[in-house]
Amino acid sequence: MPPTTIHVRPAGVPDETTPAAETRDLARLFRRSPALAGVTLRVQPGRAIAVLGPNGAGKTTLLRVLATSLRPSFGTAYVDGIDVALRPDEVRRRVAVMPHATGLYDDLTAAENLRFAADLGGVPRPDREDRIAAALERVGLSAERNARVSRFSAGMRRRLALGRLMLGHPRLVLLDEPYAALDADAMGTVDALLDEWRAGGATILVATHADERLSAWADGWLRLEDGLLVEIGGTGAEGVVAVATPQPQIGSAVPAAGQ
Amino acid sequence: MSTLATHVSVARAIAMKDLRAELRGRQAVTSTLFLAALTLLIFGFALGPDQARLATAAPGLLWLAVVLSGVLALGRIHHLETDDGAFELLALYPVPRSAIYLGKVLGGVAAMVALGALVLPLTVILYSLDPAGSLPGLVVVIVLGAVGFAAVGTLYAGLTIRLRAREVLLPLLLLPVVAPLLLAAVTATTGLIAGDPFGEVSAWLQLLIGYDLVMLLAGGLVYGLALEE
Repeated sequence: MPPTTIHVRPAGVPDETTPAAETRDLARLFRRSPALAGVTLRVQPGRAIAVLGPNGAGKTTLLRVLATSLRPSFGTAYVDGIDVALRPDEVRRRVAVMPHATGLYDDLTAAENLRFAADLGGVPRPDREDRIAAALERVGLSAERNARVSRFSAGMRRRLALGRLMLGHPRLVLLDEPYAALDADAMGTVDALLDEWRAGGATILVATHADERLSAWADGWLRLEDGLLVEIGGTGAEGVVAVATPQPQIGSAVPAAGQ
Repeated sequence: MSTLATHVSVARAIAMKDLRAELRGRQAVTSTLFLAALTLLIFGFALGPDQARLATAAPGLLWLAVVLSGVLALGRIHHLETDDGAFELLALYPVPRSAIYLGKVLGGVAAMVALGALVLPLTVILYSLDPAGSLPGLVVVIVLGAVGFAAVGTLYAGLTIRLRAREVLLPLLLLPVVAPLLLAAVTATTGLIAGDPFGEVSAWLQLLIGYDLVMLLAGGLVYGLALEE
């Protein structure tokens, strides 16, 4: 597989060669301690990539920067060629996020939570109720449609948070530990959803410890340790190009750094 | 969708969500109303049976009850967002920051006006007031006061939401800034109950309107910072 070249980034609409997600020497500090210490990577459109690494490796921070939840301390990050720090509103229109915390409102019902997300997410009013019903059906919560979220188990909350992502048509899906607190059936649902999103053309980045699930949906994977990108690999990773730090260079995705 | 339509749609969704959650969290509503009633009762007992004294103190005590309970209500509306990381997610919706602010303010105004609707009749009963002729004016003062208080309170509640000491900091930051609003609201209320003998109420109402507009504008511009981490 030939090495991928760096594309000059136009300000307009991304073409098929524009990476869905890209970082260049990305660093994020928390009280002078680096959670990310200079990460350069590129994720090609339509790929499903697992972000692996131990606790504190920087997985969540990477996703939060791409989601515009955190600003980079140094370096840059792009979604569809759009700088997340300079044009966060445009990035938010393209990204769907499921953080580690589910972000649900306990005193609202499952349907009300999704309705709120649909209203703020720009789902057209005529389609709203159909999409909510379909999302609840897909994550197996139709029967709990009018139940308050405060009565939900951790796994049900996680499923509802996944259902919230199904309301729109995001170009980039960012999931932080989607398998946490799920039983085997629900894990299978996550696998199927990831596969569906990828088949629909979305790019997916999933921070997870569940290495055993990757074969179900992942094209490739990257591993972070101590805020550094230390390995890239996986099957079908031709669209994924990343570089080991601290000396950034764009190389092939197949030979992982250090291998 | 136009910017105005987006603002209206987003603000309505947020305000409705906040009010629905607030009303269902019965403990919060009960404790807020209880605090307002308790404030009026305790000061009523402390001031004694002197009707003239009670009537003189009533406008100030009405607003004291509204403000103390209002701090609780506005804090609660933002604390809803901290239960399970909802505030971070709220910041990630592709909507204008000022629309999120407006929605939070609307929810706060509704809560404050509801509070005023309880506190006003309670004050009238406990302090033996006769506000019959001035009732429309009092309603206007309460609404204007609620808007200004919610505008500032929402901004500070947002700015302190990620701090551990937020419940202490919110009143400490908020009360000095709402001092001009309280002065105008108390004086206008006093004037209205007395029948506006000095014709000064309209001037205080203008001050309230000006205060509300300035704080809404400032909040709309600055609230985005609260959503950044």
